[in-house]
Amino acid sequence: MKLFLSLTVSILLGATFCFVFWVVASHEYQWAAIAPYWKNFLNGWTTTLLISAAALVLSIVIGALLTAGQLSPHRVPRWLSRAFVEIIRGTPLLTQILIGYYLIADSIGWDSRFGVGLVILSCFSAAYLAEIFRGGIESIPQSQWLSAKAIGFSEVQTYCYVIIPQAIRRVLPASAGQFANLIKDSSLLFVISVHEFTMQARETNANTYATFEAYLPLILGYFILTFPISLLSRNLEKRFAYEN
Amino acid sequence: MRIETQHLSKVYGVTKAVDDVSLTLSDDVQVLALIGPSGGGKSTFLRLLGGLEIPTSGEVTMDGVKLPLKEESLRDIRRKNGFLFQSFNLFPHLTALENIVLPLVKVYGRSQEEATKRAAEVVERFRLTDHVGKRPGQLSGGQQQRIALARAMAHEPSLLLLDEPTSALDPEMKSEVLDLISELCECGQRIVLSTHEMGFAKRSADHILFLSEGKCVEEAPSSQLFDDPKTEQVSQFLHKVMKW
Repeated sequence: MKLFLSLTVSILLGATFCFVFWVVASHEYQWAAIAPYWKNFLNGWTTTLLISAAALVLSIVIGALLTAGQLSPHRVPRWLSRAFVEIIRGTPLLTQILIGYYLIADSIGWDSRFGVGLVILSCFSAAYLAEIFRGGIESIPQSQWLSAKAIGFSEVQTYCYVIIPQAIRRVLPASAGQFANLIKDSSLLFVISVHEFTMQARETNANTYATFEAYLPLILGYFILTFPISLLSRNLEKRFAYEN
Repeated sequence: MRIETQHLSKVYGVTKAVDDVSLTLSDDVQVLALIGPSGGGKSTFLRLLGGLEIPTSGEVTMDGVKLPLKEESLRDIRRKNGFLFQSFNLFPHLTALENIVLPLVKVYGRSQEEATKRAAEVVERFRLTDHVGKRPGQLSGGQQQRIALARAMAHEPSLLLLDEPTSALDPEMKSEVLDLISELCECGQRIVLSTHEMGFAKRSADHILFLSEGKCVEEAPSSQLFDDPKTEQVSQFLHKVMKW
């Protein structure tokens, strides 16, 4: 049974890779058409890198606050955090970007596309991170709380020295996945004309009609950003591996 | 130590874990053992004595000092005590040495060097020097429990509370840990322990409390309770557990 499954998976994936590679490789590309736009691509990629990096930091901060809210002993912060998380997770990012920029940001006279995009993207990612963080914290066994209490730790000390260090390891893989999503999700910011990587590809396509040539660099560009996160996460997981 | 409880009760939901226990133990008790059937209230009673739980009603007086009913003030009481639980509640992300050093630094305000020196002394006394660099996951159950005991003893607690310290261990490891505890008893350490090890209780404790269904069924000096139990329930219990 195991051999059968291994064979099936290998054949299916192998065939898919070969087919896609063959299709992509056998196309006749007009790279010369997009060559003059290389600077735009580079600028777009840099913008994506900047906005993703900033959103990553901001989303961790907001996510941690939302987690604290959800774990609060008081009802009001608990409900509000819960509502925030549910609304954000239950609605499309595209809608959030449109409403966030054209309705909310506009109403307070804020028209920095980069700034608004950054905040919306951070809030979106934070809602997912908050759930990941909460799950991580709640997965730490009660015995650890009891032990910390018996030692005489205050609640803050218990979180700092006992719960969070252990929870970090447990939330790393899921958080890394969320960070990779965040980078890819930033591509939706083209709807409010943030000049990020995807936006540049769309513009190049519009100017040159070289569709594949304009969009293919996206694969490489995004992968260069997301792959290191995956590597780093595995590395950190190993570093934090203390169980067993 | 002088232990007094007055109408002491602890209720979890609808379960009366400790049910209206009033007793006064004389000054000359150094080692008190709580025995009785599982679920009879031993652990809860022990935790109430150590200030780890707040009573639902009634009060505990230790050496003439009434235990406070507020979490913050109770924390100060806890810090004077040392606890050891059934499932070795070491912090898995820290090494054995760090497990001992961390509370000394963060709870008792000792400097890192001072704490490390003190931890080294305790592990040497407990013959654990070879294991200080290991994480709990790399230690056997008995070693983990001895490290946990070293942690509980590092700040020289006025009272050591042991909650079924050997219940999760195999016989060989059990004797490792019991040896150590009996050494502490001989050195004059004041101890309250809940246990199923009747032989150990008989030999090391000078006073026994038999708890069942949250009530104190019988309390007497060790030799008296084991050799000549006053109640039928205790007599039957002892007959059953000492049979094999």
